[in-house]
Amino acid sequence: MNALAGRLILIAGVIVVGAIIAITRRSWAPALGHAFPSIWRIAKITVSEARRRRVIQAVIILVVLLLASMTFFSYLSPQEQARMLISGGLAAIVVFGILLAIFIAAFMIPSEIENRTIYAILSKPVRRFEFVLGKYVGAMIVLGVIVGIMTVVLVGVLVLQDHLVQDLPDSVFNPNLGPVVLAAVLSYFALAVLTALIVLISTVASTTMTVISAFIIWALGSLQETIHDLATNATGAARLLLLVIYNVVPKLENFDIRHEVSNFMSISIASVWQAVLHGILYIIVVLALASVFFSDRQV
Amino acid sequence: MTTEVSQANVAATEVGQAVVLQTDGLTKIYRSLFTPSGVKAVDGLSLAIRDGETYSVVGPNGSGKTTTLKILLGLIFPTSGTATIFGKDISDLSVRERIGFLPEDAYLYDCFNGEELLDFYAGLFGYPKKRRKELTDELLTLVGMQENRKVPFRECSKGMRQRLALAQALVNDPDLLILDEPTSGLDPAGRHQMTRLILEMKRRGKTILLCSHFLAEVEEVCDRVGIMYRGRLVAEGTLRELAGEPTELVVETSGLPEPAAEQIARQEGVLNVEAGVVRMEKASEAQLWSVLQAVHDAGGQIVEVKRPRPTLQDVFVRAIREEAQ
Repeated sequence: MNALAGRLILIAGVIVVGAIIAITRRSWAPALGHAFPSIWRIAKITVSEARRRRVIQAVIILVVLLLASMTFFSYLSPQEQARMLISGGLAAIVVFGILLAIFIAAFMIPSEIENRTIYAILSKPVRRFEFVLGKYVGAMIVLGVIVGIMTVVLVGVLVLQDHLVQDLPDSVFNPNLGPVVLAAVLSYFALAVLTALIVLISTVASTTMTVISAFIIWALGSLQETIHDLATNATGAARLLLLVIYNVVPKLENFDIRHEVSNFMSISIASVWQAVLHGILYIIVVLALASVFFSDRQV
Repeated sequence: MTTEVSQANVAATEVGQAVVLQTDGLTKIYRSLFTPSGVKAVDGLSLAIRDGETYSVVGPNGSGKTTTLKILLGLIFPTSGTATIFGKDISDLSVRERIGFLPEDAYLYDCFNGEELLDFYAGLFGYPKKRRKELTDELLTLVGMQENRKVPFRECSKGMRQRLALAQALVNDPDLLILDEPTSGLDPAGRHQMTRLILEMKRRGKTILLCSHFLAEVEEVCDRVGIMYRGRLVAEGTLRELAGEPTELVVETSGLPEPAAEQIARQEGVLNVEAGVVRMEKASEAQLWSVLQAVHDAGGQIVEVKRPRPTLQDVFVRAIREEAQ
């Protein structure tokens, strides 16, 4: 029943988004067509800039070494070892992914304003929304590459471990590769949602405020079920506040299937699609708001 | 002085040349929690800059020059008033296709080299790769950065940075060039080089709006000057118009004995006599002849008689002093 409901929500969502796109396309399609080269140029320079940042390079090397070192947990039983590798590896992808997302996204727009590099860009025929979208797309490309590298290393470690233990008697090592990759992809979606929200905050706040807000959102987004439970039991203003948080802050938990994957449980594909669709809609709304806020910002 | 402003504006349209940039009552007020009534950074600025003209806005720090430029470029928004460039409102994106902007202190991405930077900025105008490469080569040659094209911006000297910043302002071959303190922080050689480049742009027929602290540079390159003080345009015109007719007369002498110098200093029309130089203010021909005769009689020699025209520095100081009073 749940799976059917999920599919129906997904179909309804796709129809609504499709209808909105079809109805409004005449108003935004020409502008977006003209905007695409600028968005792409800004995204590319954002990627090039991130590529040259030593901090990002160092974090990637650190995570790769951390994941690779997990092959040394040979004192566990093969099944426990698989669980440990999958759980630890996916946790590393999520934690370092989020830290890098905050580091990259929170500094992107405020540093352009503080370093005044934005002057030479906005004095060219570049619309404010093109700048915001370009920055977002650039950050997502960087995060995509980073999550991709981490996933490839984790998959490599699991394949290697599978190969090492397959000759052992009673070996039941299950690398669970398909779900592991799916979990990594969902983590990337969670990063996409979080990054969009950080970009929105950075269009109106300073770097420090953006970083603090990003960590708070991450915490709240990962505790949505708890917040919902608290709201159910609370009264008055506290209840209202908790309900606002519950409904506004993205439900990052929905993108987290680490528990199911590391315990070799079945995954509801309908829930996955729901989370993805919800995430995409959330990103569209948040980036639209970011563009509106930034268009009024004095730089 | 304010009469001069309006006269100059009228002249801009009377001569029949197209007005490239026009502002009318442009005002910018910064408000904050601590200043609810706000601070007027620009106060009712009305300007008209003609096609092919090199116009300079000069003024002390905080006079509203950079704020004005930022409004014109759409980086900040005016509180009231209007501004048009090429006859279109400044919010029209097509206006920026014909503008080049050199920001003060050359803020460009510091991890990229000149070649990469110019390729990026040219890309924002939608040029294809081949054209971007041609442009990069042309501009690096123009600003003398061909040999240092691979040097990251953060490793460039101040002069190299300014030249790269000028190059990025020229990627679209703009009709209007807006330069904010182009020679700020440069050594004399760098300043000379930048001034030469600005003159080259002027020779190519570009309309130039220049903000500068260096009055000598302004004198060298500009057709008209606007003096801003506390957000207002307090004087505007060509340097000749602003300076007016010279009123001072200077007689340089040699071998003038001290007692004779003291006697000449007491003559009518003489301001002072210092180190053999006699300065006269609004002197008549008879008063001048009288001084020359006195020098001759005392056994001194006349080296030179001249009527120095006030420099922009003199005009600037006078305008600011009058406005402050």
